Amino acid sequence: MLEKAIETHNLTKVFGHFTAVDGLNFDVREGELFGLLGPNGAGKTTTVRMLCTLLEPTTGTATIAGYDLVKEPAKVRRQIGVVSEGVMLYKDLSIEENLKFLSKLYDLSGEKADQRVKELLEMFDFREKAKRQVRALSSGWTKKALICAAILHRPKILFLDEVTSGLDPQSATALRDFTRNLCNQGVTVVWTTHYMTEPEKICDRVGIVYGGRMIQIGSPNDLKRKVSELSVMEIEVSNLSQETIDKIRSVQEICNLRYEPPFLRISCERDDELTEKMTKTLLSEGVKIRAINTLEPTLEEAFIKLTGGEDEIDRILGRNDTDRQVMKERSK
Amino acid sequence: MSKSKFLSDTLAVTINEFRVLRRNRTAILLSLVVIPFFFTAALGVGSGGAGTSYSVTAKIPIAFIDDDQTVASGRVYAILARSGDFHQLIQGYREDNAIATLGTGKIYAVIVIPKGFQDRLLNDQVGHITVYVDDSVADLGSAIQGNLLKNLQDFNPRLEVQPVRVGVSSPIEIVARGVKFSGFDVGLTVILGLVIIFATFYEIAGGISRESEEGTYARLAVSPIGLGAIMAGKTFYDLGLNAVRALIVCALAVYGYGARPNTDLLTIVGLSLLMALLTMGFGFIISALGLGVRAVIIVEFFLVLFLFAFSGFIIDRELLTGFSKTISYSLPWAYGIEVIRRAVLIGQPLWTMANQLMFVVVSTVVFYGIAYFVLKISRERLVI
Repeated sequence: MLEKAIETHNLTKVFGHFTAVDGLNFDVREGELFGLLGPNGAGKTTTVRMLCTLLEPTTGTATIAGYDLVKEPAKVRRQIGVVSEGVMLYKDLSIEENLKFLSKLYDLSGEKADQRVKELLEMFDFREKAKRQVRALSSGWTKKALICAAILHRPKILFLDEVTSGLDPQSATALRDFTRNLCNQGVTVVWTTHYMTEPEKICDRVGIVYGGRMIQIGSPNDLKRKVSELSVMEIEVSNLSQETIDKIRSVQEICNLRYEPPFLRISCERDDELTEKMTKTLLSEGVKIRAINTLEPTLEEAFIKLTGGEDEIDRILGRNDTDRQVMKERSK
Repeated sequence: MSKSKFLSDTLAVTINEFRVLRRNRTAILLSLVVIPFFFTAALGVGSGGAGTSYSVTAKIPIAFIDDDQTVASGRVYAILARSGDFHQLIQGYREDNAIATLGTGKIYAVIVIPKGFQDRLLNDQVGHITVYVDDSVADLGSAIQGNLLKNLQDFNPRLEVQPVRVGVSSPIEIVARGVKFSGFDVGLTVILGLVIIFATFYEIAGGISRESEEGTYARLAVSPIGLGAIMAGKTFYDLGLNAVRALIVCALAVYGYGARPNTDLLTIVGLSLLMALLTMGFGFIISALGLGVRAVIIVEFFLVLFLFAFSGFIIDRELLTGFSKTISYSLPWAYGIEVIRRAVLIGQPLWTMANQLMFVVVSTVVFYGIAYFVLKISRERLVI
């Protein structure tokens, strides 16, 4: 059985009165590509920042490559590589100079360091760009440079935080292939993203984070299957009363309903007859329908579906009616 | 962390800082050319004094030596003591002892009424009063001389029988004694202090803020380098820069404006580096606040203004009164500036200023200690 590369124990981070990560418990096996999926503000980046020792957990801890995150942060740092928005390179230096500087911090010296730097620059095809200042590189090349810096010292665990955002589809695919290759070589990767489709392409397992809590952990296939069962329709209406909204909400197949006049957005189990059923209900209530559109589900809607509805999320997160009201106000 | 790892990390950070500077022409221009040249030129052209509305010599301890022991010399003392300009005239010193005491901070001037003073006046000759001043306090000499002349210009030993003649030149001449220094020696001390503090504070506090904003501090924070090595690396880098800066300022002051410092170049550079270290310690503390680069510039502006007012840059701190004097005497920079002045202006040996130097050194160590602690606890502020 594979050993656990990462194991968190009630990992919690509180900023003032705001709990960004709330008692997270999960583990990642050696050589696994683990996806942390969640909408913006779910707590993914805070989790990664704690795991790579940038932030200290308020309570709880984690074991990273066998070292305690809180008690042995220096040892943890030797085992990890990080690509995250706030962890950058010296813009005035070239990628080559950056890598040479970092290699000294990781105790790679002389010929060994030169060789490793050369190997990475060739691997990512930097060529003449290797001597160009980082500030002069495009975002794609900067991201490559950041990955070079993260894997320079051959870390056992690599954290890739929203690493494909801003990349063109071709570069994103190449990056996913490269990451998969790293995992095949035994590197454990934690990949955070808010793109629903991304984890299913590369991750071995996916953890869904929402409101700072781990809502669900499973294989990407489970995720894919559940999301594909979801369909979303947006109906432009007028004269919609609260009673009608309640009536529609009571339809069993409906996962989520949001009314922001004049649009009524309904996510539901994929059901070909549902559109007809909805149309009939609305017309019988005297509602005027101007247009009906079928849309891709948003991440939020997928989460609600994946987690068994809003009530289930509230139950998991321990929210009461007041919290729900606050959330609604905030989302408005 | 092992010693060798600490040293290699420190060296790596130092070299990297120089590499970053080398790739940033604007930074080189500002750091090594604009700041030293600007301040040297500005002060060289506009050297002058700060006006004061109160009697700046009133609370300065001054030795009064009466070698004449006559009615006239006694009246000189009485006039000065009553004048409101000289409240701390100290009698009882011997002339040679008093002169030797200059520079220790116990007295700042010696007024000597020489033998034959009264006789000269009674014979319608000019009576001489000799004044020795502590030349390390640049503006003090002229202030004392000015106030002596003001109070004694109509002095007449036969006042009771002869009315004061109006329009006749002063019967008393003040003879200033002491080390003569060229006009820009004072400028050199001011510029050195100013340039070192101004540039160093920005390089450290602004440097860390910039690293924090650009995400390179977080890069260091996820690597195995320790905070001590980061601080040491940046310190050595900035010491290197300040050595160059001190040499540039000295060269400009000597060859451009005719300054003639009374101490060797090594001492000037050494003292400049000591001031730089002190400022770096403070800069590290400020950097822990997690301020943005703009905020650091504002803090720097206030720091420099504050030091201008209280550290003897423009107004000699011996001339300050009340609470401002208390503030001045609690600022370690003021002691550093005092040491630089005494060394540059009168060539006072460093060992005679051990107390001032110790105050600066201890303050530096304390600043670094505090900085290490606050940077450690505010790590998250710098990586978010």
